[in-house]
Amino acid sequence: MKLDVVVNGRAGGLQLESSRFEYNGIARDYSLIASGPGIFSILIDGRSYEATVLAPGTIQVNGRIFSVEIFDPRELRARSTAGASQGRQNILAPMPGKVVRVLVAAGDAVEAGQGLIVVEAMKMQNEMKSPKAGTVVEIKTKDGATVAAGEILIVIE
Amino acid sequence: MFRKVLIANRGEIAVRLIRGLRELNIASVAVYSDADRPSLAVRMADEAAHLGPAPSSESYLRIDKIIDAAKRHGAEAIHPGYGFLSENAEFAEAVTHAGLVFIGPPADAIRKMGSKTAARQIAIAAGAPVVPGTEAAIRSLEQARSTAESLGYPVLLKAAAGGGGKGMRRVDREEDLESAIRDASSEALHAFKNDEVYLEKLVLEPRHIEIQVLGDHHGHMIHLGERECSIQRRHQKVIEECPSPLMALDPGLRDRMGAAAVKVARAAGYANAGTIEFLVDRDRNFYFLEMNTRLQVEHPVTELVTSLDLVSWQLKIAAGERLTIDQNDVRWTGNAIECRIYAEDPENNFLPFPGKITKLVEPSGPGIRLDSGVYEGWDVPFDYDPLLAKLAVWAKDRKSTISRLIRALKEAKVGGIRTNLAFFTEVLNDEAFERGELSTAFLDGFFARRKPAPEPDQETEAVAVIVAALSKTKAAAPIVNSISKWKWQ
Repeated sequence: MKLDVVVNGRAGGLQLESSRFEYNGIARDYSLIASGPGIFSILIDGRSYEATVLAPGTIQVNGRIFSVEIFDPRELRARSTAGASQGRQNILAPMPGKVVRVLVAAGDAVEAGQGLIVVEAMKMQNEMKSPKAGTVVEIKTKDGATVAAGEILIVIE
Repeated sequence: MFRKVLIANRGEIAVRLIRGLRELNIASVAVYSDADRPSLAVRMADEAAHLGPAPSSESYLRIDKIIDAAKRHGAEAIHPGYGFLSENAEFAEAVTHAGLVFIGPPADAIRKMGSKTAARQIAIAAGAPVVPGTEAAIRSLEQARSTAESLGYPVLLKAAAGGGGKGMRRVDREEDLESAIRDASSEALHAFKNDEVYLEKLVLEPRHIEIQVLGDHHGHMIHLGERECSIQRRHQKVIEECPSPLMALDPGLRDRMGAAAVKVARAAGYANAGTIEFLVDRDRNFYFLEMNTRLQVEHPVTELVTSLDLVSWQLKIAAGERLTIDQNDVRWTGNAIECRIYAEDPENNFLPFPGKITKLVEPSGPGIRLDSGVYEGWDVPFDYDPLLAKLAVWAKDRKSTISRLIRALKEAKVGGIRTNLAFFTEVLNDEAFERGELSTAFLDGFFARRKPAPEPDQETEAVAVIVAALSKTKAAAPIVNSISKWKWQ
């Protein structure tokens, strides 16, 4: 099985069989068992690793946390053709919380650095600023709404 | 002793108090807001009372509802924990008027030490050193010049009515004094409708060292030594330790600070557990800063080093028992360091990061104490302070304690939210931290000299990728099936 992967933002390739793998030029035999829900013990040449799935795509190994995206080649092709539309920029929620106030409306012209929206979590207010000059294309939330980290709040073009 | 006590708090401190009560065979009553119905404290307590909606103003700050809950459940006393109503003199008074016992100092002592200016006056009267300054408002430029000169530059202009850094100016040279007074006054007028400013000596790169005091209602008061809490972000402590590394350089310092703290506490008419905070300058002069009239977040480091249980003593003292320890009985053995584990993102300005805890592995083994308020599957609510747990470790000396704490931090795993666990490992590995060169400006310097984390070795990374691939990809099914112990039974 051959897979394209992106680890902490860097691309790589994994060739995986049931007891041998090849990853970015290193090839090793390995043994793996599940030791608990989301917890795995891996032995490689007598070296012991414990891997914990913290969340889908977030794996901790021996004290380090890796963000891993796995693509099978078919998915990756679909992704690259879709592409990001020119000059569009999504304003994402930096943390889970509540929208205190949306400071702009769809159609507004905004300056770079202009405040767009205020999000609050645990009594900390965070004003999100426009990364560039442009126009507000879409507001995807409203005052008082609960938002998740990474959720798209506003689209600027 | 009490038979049942209500805990007017939430999170890890509520759990800590439930444990302390249970060890004395006292029943516990937890309180909870709508957001905290699934909390660990409610699960662990003997009884639980609903207070109201999630906002603290409608739940954990409602004096009437808390006292009503205590009466309904037949509790004889209330422990306020820290934060919320713990330093509210009206609450302490209301508890007493309701015929219940407030587990803390007398309301009058809370009130006196709650005012910065009154507390400073008490400290001065008790003979404790305070940051040199005028206190009285500046009347003329001439007067300000001579005061600043006698204090020695740099000096700090502060708003008399102020707080939160408003109306505050650092002045390094006499030439800058006049314009700084003008700016500070106008900022103070704007913020507090009062343009009075006064001068204080600026303590450069101070250490924050506090003294734990413990006194009973029969006139006996002792100190349990210091905690160094210089590692702070946004003026909030994140790492605390005992002994302070300063004590190795100046063995008499603990006695001097301890004696000053006991004098201040006595002068305030204090009883129960309390903490006197000091700033310590580069020449090891210490200055009274303020008093915290409650149990501190970081009390575990004192408990680990002195082997005294502060919560247990709080309960006994509140029940009227005598403090049976003399100052000479207090011994400090070994070293303890605590890290406050927060749901926050250290790589993004320490912004809070609440959410569901999808995975939790807690550290254990020799010398580990974990005071936690969370469990796997629990949603960290965004209505409150994001403190999840306190990891405190003990070892024979500071070097071993740092190694042990790094070991424990690496054993800990929290998934689904971001935490400062890995950040602590970096700070504890910092050479200045190892040398004990601490100040409240430590983290600024740390960020300035911080190097990017070294690249992980390819084999470790490969393990993460293999596990991710086998967990996620359908194409991996044949391999998963060939691994007999893939599925956990």
